[in-house]
Amino acid sequence: MTRRLIPFVVLVAAVALLNGWLYQRFHVRVLTLAVVWALAGVAWNLMAKAGQISLGHSAFVGIGAYGFTVLLREGGMSPWTGMAIGMGAAAVVAFVIGLPTFRLKGFYFTLATISFPLILELLVSHYGEPELTVPFHPENQWKFMEFSNAHTYVWVGLGMLIVALLISELIDVTSFGFALRAIRDNEVLARAVGIRTVAWKSAAFMISAALSAAMAVLWVKAVLRVTVAEEVFGITVVIVMLSVAFVGGVGMTWGPVVGAAFLIPLAMFLDDSIGEAVPGAQELVYAAALVLVALLIPRGILPAAGRGCRWLATRLGSTPGSPVRQSLQRVVAPPPRPSPLLSVPRRPRRPAVLPQAGEAPVLEVDSVAKSFGANRVLSDVSFTVAAGTRVGIIGPNGAGKTTLFNIMTAHLRADAGRIRFKSIPIDRIRAPRRYELGISRTFQVPQGFGLMSPLDNVVVAAIGASVRHPVDASMAMLERVGLTSKALGQLSALTVAETKSLELARAMVSEPELLLLDEPLAGLNEAERDRFFGIVDDLVAPHTAIVVIEHSVRSLVRYAESVVALDEGRIIAHGSPDDVVSDPRVIEAYLGSKWMERARDQ
Amino acid sequence: MTEFLQFLVPGILIGGVYALLASGLGLIFGVMRVVNFAQADFMMLAMYLSWALFAGGIGMDPFLAMPGIFAVFLLLGMAIHWLFIRFVIGRHENHDAQVILTIGLGLIFQNLILIRYSSEPRVVAPSYANTGDFIGDIFISRARLYAFLLSLLVAALLFLFLNRTGTGRAIRAASENWEAATYMGINIDRTNRIAFGVGVALTAVGGAALVTFQSITPFVGLRFVVVMFAAVVLGGLGSVSGAFVGGVLIGIIQSVSQVWTSAAVKNVWVFALFLLILYVRPNGLFGKVQRAI
Repeated sequence: MTRRLIPFVVLVAAVALLNGWLYQRFHVRVLTLAVVWALAGVAWNLMAKAGQISLGHSAFVGIGAYGFTVLLREGGMSPWTGMAIGMGAAAVVAFVIGLPTFRLKGFYFTLATISFPLILELLVSHYGEPELTVPFHPENQWKFMEFSNAHTYVWVGLGMLIVALLISELIDVTSFGFALRAIRDNEVLARAVGIRTVAWKSAAFMISAALSAAMAVLWVKAVLRVTVAEEVFGITVVIVMLSVAFVGGVGMTWGPVVGAAFLIPLAMFLDDSIGEAVPGAQELVYAAALVLVALLIPRGILPAAGRGCRWLATRLGSTPGSPVRQSLQRVVAPPPRPSPLLSVPRRPRRPAVLPQAGEAPVLEVDSVAKSFGANRVLSDVSFTVAAGTRVGIIGPNGAGKTTLFNIMTAHLRADAGRIRFKSIPIDRIRAPRRYELGISRTFQVPQGFGLMSPLDNVVVAAIGASVRHPVDASMAMLERVGLTSKALGQLSALTVAETKSLELARAMVSEPELLLLDEPLAGLNEAERDRFFGIVDDLVAPHTAIVVIEHSVRSLVRYAESVVALDEGRIIAHGSPDDVVSDPRVIEAYLGSKWMERARDQ
Repeated sequence: MTEFLQFLVPGILIGGVYALLASGLGLIFGVMRVVNFAQADFMMLAMYLSWALFAGGIGMDPFLAMPGIFAVFLLLGMAIHWLFIRFVIGRHENHDAQVILTIGLGLIFQNLILIRYSSEPRVVAPSYANTGDFIGDIFISRARLYAFLLSLLVAALLFLFLNRTGTGRAIRAASENWEAATYMGINIDRTNRIAFGVGVALTAVGGAALVTFQSITPFVGLRFVVVMFAAVVLGGLGSVSGAFVGGVLIGIIQSVSQVWTSAAVKNVWVFALFLLILYVRPNGLFGKVQRAI
């Protein structure tokens, strides 16, 4: 807890000290702007936590600025009330902007965000007022945010900045932050472990927009004094937000504070000294910062400084007990454990179902078909899986096995056919909800949240399934697959076998009723292969049904109770393992017709 | 109807130039999956070069200067790729570095020009700039007609380059399947560098074609950046021919919108259309293919 408190104390002390010490108008102005842009950067960075780069935040700044100015001019409304209304309006606009783009992956969000401020600026300038002066109300300083003492704006700004930082911190330590980081690292996987990506991204975008609108009121009142469409909706707003956030640390709560502390004074003092002769000096500072960060430290100063300290700690303090090493290690303490806030008991979304004799099968696949363009991948595939049974799926490469899994977990939509899970038709249910219902999977190419620890990888899946104590449950699961010692390390440090175990732990933490394993033995050596299914059986509940895709027919025949053989998208055999592997059509599919002919000739 | 045609024809003409601007952006994205936010600023630089050649004593006609402008920007583009862009290609974990690098580069171009030439708008006015011919009731501006014809010519040359030369084929191969192209022995770094140079040069020529009817400021690119992205997305991200068609469509929409609303808000229609396309058909009007041609 104290670790999280220290930066707040440092921030308040630094700003208080400067605010008391500086007296020149220009210096106070620089301090005010540093606070304002730190606030803007913190707001912008909330979206970056999910890996989403917005180039449209000036839309929200413009809405906030115009909103309160118009309300003050027309209705004499206090800027504080105007701020609240502007924040609400910005959040609504963010919701509308976000919803269609959040279903798309990659940079479509970034592209879509460019045009909103441009549209608003043109409309406001043409049909409204391109410039609005903010009326002067000296009669009530606090009501009208009309402080005669410039230092008061710094205090107000600091208060708002602290609120924004607290919101950002709170997001980081709760399931909200886990969801955003999971989306940042691997959106497809996040959906597969029950993270409602669209909802979380929308929520982050709305909070981010509201804070940007709040910052706009302070910016206009404390510095600009006039609301100019070109300025508040302008691209420069976005440039400064990007710069302070990327320079400090993208997606990190304290990144923009560090970035603003560096960049804003630099840009302003440069502008003050040579701005007359060199009109673009201020912008060049931001531009150079962006280029340098992109090339040298793509995630910003804070992560780079962390790496630097760790390097120093290993270089300088060769003896473990040396004071240098100890103090350095305090700075770079291990990645924080997930907060106890996560362990708030929740209502489980899924009632525990106990298997009963004569119950309907867990999974019913009925005449499923799928084509990619003219390429027919699956046609008329039907089979059922009963509770507590293990079904193997075999077939040559390209037979449609993984496509079938992807359809079961809603990563792909079938062209025809129906799938029922526990008698519920799930064809129209999206991936996160299917996971909540009790379908878990592993991937042919192991997937992970790359920048998160192995423990956090499992915690995300536990949060997605609304497990009561996600951290404890995840830790217990890691212990059962033998990864306790690696739990807080780097994901990339795991071996292939450990990655497979992690995939299994992640898939099992939700206590699924249907477990889909996609080539779990690929990449494992003989000993690991023999052990693997033992670990699986040890983890699953008796009523859990397992479907395994596997090329190692030998291992599968020993493990599965029935086998489905696919070839070119059709089921060519289905039955007991021995019957299926001796079926001539299966042998032909695997070994080719020539081999069959030769075998017959002999 | 006449009123509609009076807007439609100039729309098609300016659309040809947009097509040229957008094809450069589309080529770069198609080949190396870099969303180049500095693209419109290369256009701005080309406009200043064109202006400098015209107003700077030589009095060179912007259309005559184009081969030179193409060559200069081909080299500039390759240099920028070699100095900066190649370091952010293939960092598969995020596009962040590409976004901020190209935004930063564009900003540097803008402000260097601001420092050198101030923000005063510059115009290039050759003798034919304000003349034109009537075909029926429809006025056709000479400058725009020349720009349009030039765009068609460049498009034809680009098509020949991509289909008939080894380098062009390598670029197409890289844009279709980057990995397979490397297995075929294509030097991907060199291909990227050339594609970046050609993409920048195409947009530069488009910019030079604009100067006879578009005043030049250091921040002129801002107005075109969304036009270019809209055209590229409309035609399907990564498709050069798609970007070309998209450019013409954007020109038409921008121009015809003036039948209903003021010219001051004509770009609102473009921006709104851009969003609509992103929402409804993110893979472009022509479907899912992401290819260079």
